[in-house]
Amino acid sequence: MKNAIDNKVLEDIRVAYLGKKGTITSQLKLLGTLPANERKEAGIEINKAKGKLQQKIQEKRQILQAQELEKKLQLESIDITMPGRKNHGANIHPVTRTMQRIVTLFAGLGFEEKMGPEIEDDYHNFEALNFPSHHPARTMHDTFWFDDGHLLRTHTSPVQIRAMKNMNPPIKIIAPGRVYRSDSDQTHTPMFHQVEGLVVGESVTFASLKGVLNQFVNAFFEKDLKIRLRPSYFPFTEPSAEVDVEWKKEDGTTGWLEVLGCGMVHPNVLKSGGIDPEKYTGFAFGLGVERFAMLRYGVKDLRQFFENDITFLKQFK
Amino acid sequence: MKISEKWLREWVNPSVSSDELVEQLTMLGLEVDDVLPAAGEFTEVVVAKIVALEKHPDADKLNVCQVDIGCEENLQIVCGAPNARVGLVAPLAKIGAVLPGNFKIKKSKLRGMESFGMLCSNVELGLSDDHSGLLELPNNAPIGKDIREYFQLDDNIIDIDLTPNRADCFSLKGIAIDVACLNDLKIKSVEPKEVEISHNEHIEVKLSADKQCPRYLCRVINNIDNTKETPIWMQEKLRRSGIRSIHPVVDVTNYVMLEFGQPMHGFDKTTIKGAINVKMAKKDDKITLLDGKEITLNDSFLMIADEINYLAIAGIMGGENSGVTESTKNIVLESAYFDPATIMGKSRDIGVHTESALRFERGVDSQLQTQAMHRATELIIDICGGEVGPINEAKEEKYLPKQKNITLSKEKLKRVLGFEVPSQQVTDILTGLSMQVETQENTWQIKAPSSRFDIAIEEDLIEEVVRMVGYDKMPSENLVGQSVIIQLPEEHISHNNIKNQLCNLGYLEAINYSFVSEKLLNEFNMQEDSFALKNPLTEEFSIMRTSLLPGMMQTLNYNLRRQHDSIKMFETGNVFHKKTRVTEDDKIIAICTGIRNTEHWGMEKEKLDFFDCKGDLEKLLDSSKMNYDFTLSEYDFLHPGRQAQVCLKGELVGWIGQVHPEICRRMGIKKEVYAFELFMKKIQNSSLPSYETISKYPSVRRDLAMVIDAEVSYQNIANLIYNELGENLVDTIVFDEYKGDSIGKDKRSLAVGLVLQQKNATFEDKDVDKLIAKVVSSISEKLSIEIRGN
Repeated sequence: MKNAIDNKVLEDIRVAYLGKKGTITSQLKLLGTLPANERKEAGIEINKAKGKLQQKIQEKRQILQAQELEKKLQLESIDITMPGRKNHGANIHPVTRTMQRIVTLFAGLGFEEKMGPEIEDDYHNFEALNFPSHHPARTMHDTFWFDDGHLLRTHTSPVQIRAMKNMNPPIKIIAPGRVYRSDSDQTHTPMFHQVEGLVVGESVTFASLKGVLNQFVNAFFEKDLKIRLRPSYFPFTEPSAEVDVEWKKEDGTTGWLEVLGCGMVHPNVLKSGGIDPEKYTGFAFGLGVERFAMLRYGVKDLRQFFENDITFLKQFK
Repeated sequence: MKISEKWLREWVNPSVSSDELVEQLTMLGLEVDDVLPAAGEFTEVVVAKIVALEKHPDADKLNVCQVDIGCEENLQIVCGAPNARVGLVAPLAKIGAVLPGNFKIKKSKLRGMESFGMLCSNVELGLSDDHSGLLELPNNAPIGKDIREYFQLDDNIIDIDLTPNRADCFSLKGIAIDVACLNDLKIKSVEPKEVEISHNEHIEVKLSADKQCPRYLCRVINNIDNTKETPIWMQEKLRRSGIRSIHPVVDVTNYVMLEFGQPMHGFDKTTIKGAINVKMAKKDDKITLLDGKEITLNDSFLMIADEINYLAIAGIMGGENSGVTESTKNIVLESAYFDPATIMGKSRDIGVHTESALRFERGVDSQLQTQAMHRATELIIDICGGEVGPINEAKEEKYLPKQKNITLSKEKLKRVLGFEVPSQQVTDILTGLSMQVETQENTWQIKAPSSRFDIAIEEDLIEEVVRMVGYDKMPSENLVGQSVIIQLPEEHISHNNIKNQLCNLGYLEAINYSFVSEKLLNEFNMQEDSFALKNPLTEEFSIMRTSLLPGMMQTLNYNLRRQHDSIKMFETGNVFHKKTRVTEDDKIIAICTGIRNTEHWGMEKEKLDFFDCKGDLEKLLDSSKMNYDFTLSEYDFLHPGRQAQVCLKGELVGWIGQVHPEICRRMGIKKEVYAFELFMKKIQNSSLPSYETISKYPSVRRDLAMVIDAEVSYQNIANLIYNELGENLVDTIVFDEYKGDSIGKDKRSLAVGLVLQQKNATFEDKDVDKLIAKVVSSISEKLSIEIRGN
């Protein structure tokens, strides 16, 4: 049995001993010929041998099966370093990624996402936001116009007006979207993205605006960055501020980088939105998404965002 | 607004460094864009006078000058400047001098003649980019004096980017008030000396447009000598504010404008016929301005006229014919208040941008005119001499801006800011900003200065207070108030979800511009209901896109040309149409070309086709759990035999197809390109998962094989199958299609597997047989198709 190399040899052995005409089977058959007093003992002995043999065969069978399996598996071996089958890999655009991140962070603070139209009227884009006609502040917005007096929104701020008209305080909204200005050079594209935030309620203060933006900047960049608010001017907020972030430049020096504009909602704007400025206060802020994406991911050239070069886009997995 | 730091410090001189002063300005909201030295770094440059000059014997363009620098011996200097002449006073860089750019002056020989230094132009000293010749200094400049000292060049030019609300800071005075208030100082204001009048000549003024010009002052000054040189100190201050010296009258008016913010104008008295009339222009009248530009007017232009001609466009620019030149002897000086709304936008309309227009359209202090007139008179007389006449003032009090009374309440201040500012500090700040302040128990009663057009309401005062407190000193607070859980409709499939699904299907997101060129749109025949921008940047971005396809095809092409062979991309964004009114619809496009999967050793390299694209679309639509119908469509930008419109309950959802090969060819794309475009909103509705008991009974599969004619679609067959089997049919698998001559031209054979299952019983073979038989007979009868079932 030691030399049994496969199941067949083993089976031959089994038949030779345990088969119908096998040695042990024959011995058992001869039991009846023995004297009665020997029969019992002999029976025990033969059955003992039979059991032992059966066990041996079983053991050997298992060994052989294992060997066989091993051989089979060995044959089935593959080079697991070969590349797997896969579909084309893909990801969202870095601007979308940044926008989603910003919206998600504010959603955590209870801000509801709102959208507005890209083709706006003068009322929503300017007038309701406290830009009087011909006001020099309008020249800060190089506007694309249509013949019928409509325009491409120059900022996401019109969403403030629409939201206030449709909601009751407390209001907390975050409005991402495309905006347009007729300006094109190394640092301007005629279309870009903004995220607008608006909070209106009973204890909405300038100090809380500073607190929220501080938290946001730190959460977005996952760094403890210094920010500073600096007086500025937007017709739709009073007081108004620009927000600068202390940023380490490539040459190792640090400087202030302007990243967003904000302020307390101007009472005229609250009124445009149908909200009583004597009862409620509000703050609003607006930021350029591309700016945040560039800082976060180290993109150097703004225009690359809209060239849609696959090699560029695939870097933002 | 560019100002000299030294000049600002004449008005207010806080004990802070230049860097700190600049930081203070920025933090006051007067954002400093740039700080530049008043001149380049240089040493050893002195005032010199050319006392003799000869032509260089060996060089046409060079002169050999003898130059006096106040030493015993004159220096020999070889110079090529065109304006070198005997008597000229100019800067000289001595041997050993170092000029900007670390340019060292050494003794040299030019074509054999020795030169002991270099006479300098503006450029060499880093003063300006005027390289027309040697910098000409006044004849009385002290010979030998160090130029840095003479010009007071150890100074900075501070360039402030003013926000449109701060009209008052277009002057030294305005900026100084802010700086003084912040540092708890008082400004050292310039108090003009009133020059005694020496005659009574005056020009009558009529305010025909008194609403637009409620105050107009003028004064005659006779017998001035305008050929006089403007003093260096004034020229230098002007230069540091970016204004070139012209002649004394212009220089003085500019100087007063920089000091107080009052733009002024000088007319040549002899050109004025009779009285001055301030009136609105008539449509189509014309005026030629000082810069030679002819302007066609309309009735919204406010004009300064005499009894015959227009003299100037009020507040913007004077006319060519009435302008003061160096030879003018008798002048009329104007100092006026024009209504900002009247001036606003005018300089943009006519493309004439002046310092004057900039100030008037944002608002000039209406109480400033007399003071400015006195100041300008004083300065002109000092430089040019002359005989001064009385000031003639015309005004319409009721149209002058009223001083605003504003109440600031302590409660509101705290409610807006979220922190307490000590009352005394508030009083000090408002007083420091030249406001009249009356402190009461819970309020401050404020009268705002006439220079501050931006202060009208309580919030404006709050900003002033917090600006002076310092935005950086303000505490950061958490946002408090009721928090509400935001609604999250589960039956709505979000944008992000759809984008992620497409990414998982291998599509990379692109963002294309919302405007395209007319040519591109026409290429796809998509110009119907399109509309153009009135003022596009370029033709390339002139029309609002009516579909996401053209832009996406450009992006595809851009990448195909950069060695990307297999491309799958998507975009979401608005498309725009104009029928009776403008509509914008949120759409989604996916586009693909190349091979099915990434090239792989274990797979056939197969071109992707319509059904890859359709499969992706079906997977995308799957989460909505709705039944979308695909029917052959007739879009002319798609392959006529490979396109479908996608509908849901009879409503158009979008299209899918192969982009027309002819369009691809014209764009230079050789591959087959497939795409689908859908209305975003129409694929965002789903339904809540609803639990159903899982059948415990086994399913049975039966296969059908049939040969069908070209005009029969799989959909026809599928509909019949469903009609017969209804709910018993749990899955349909089309597992083979064959086309070939053996089954006849225009025919194809289809093999379809049907999986049947019952909810509450095992399907008996004989029941399945009966059902399949019904399916077979239904199909063969209704579509006369040869069919086998087993």
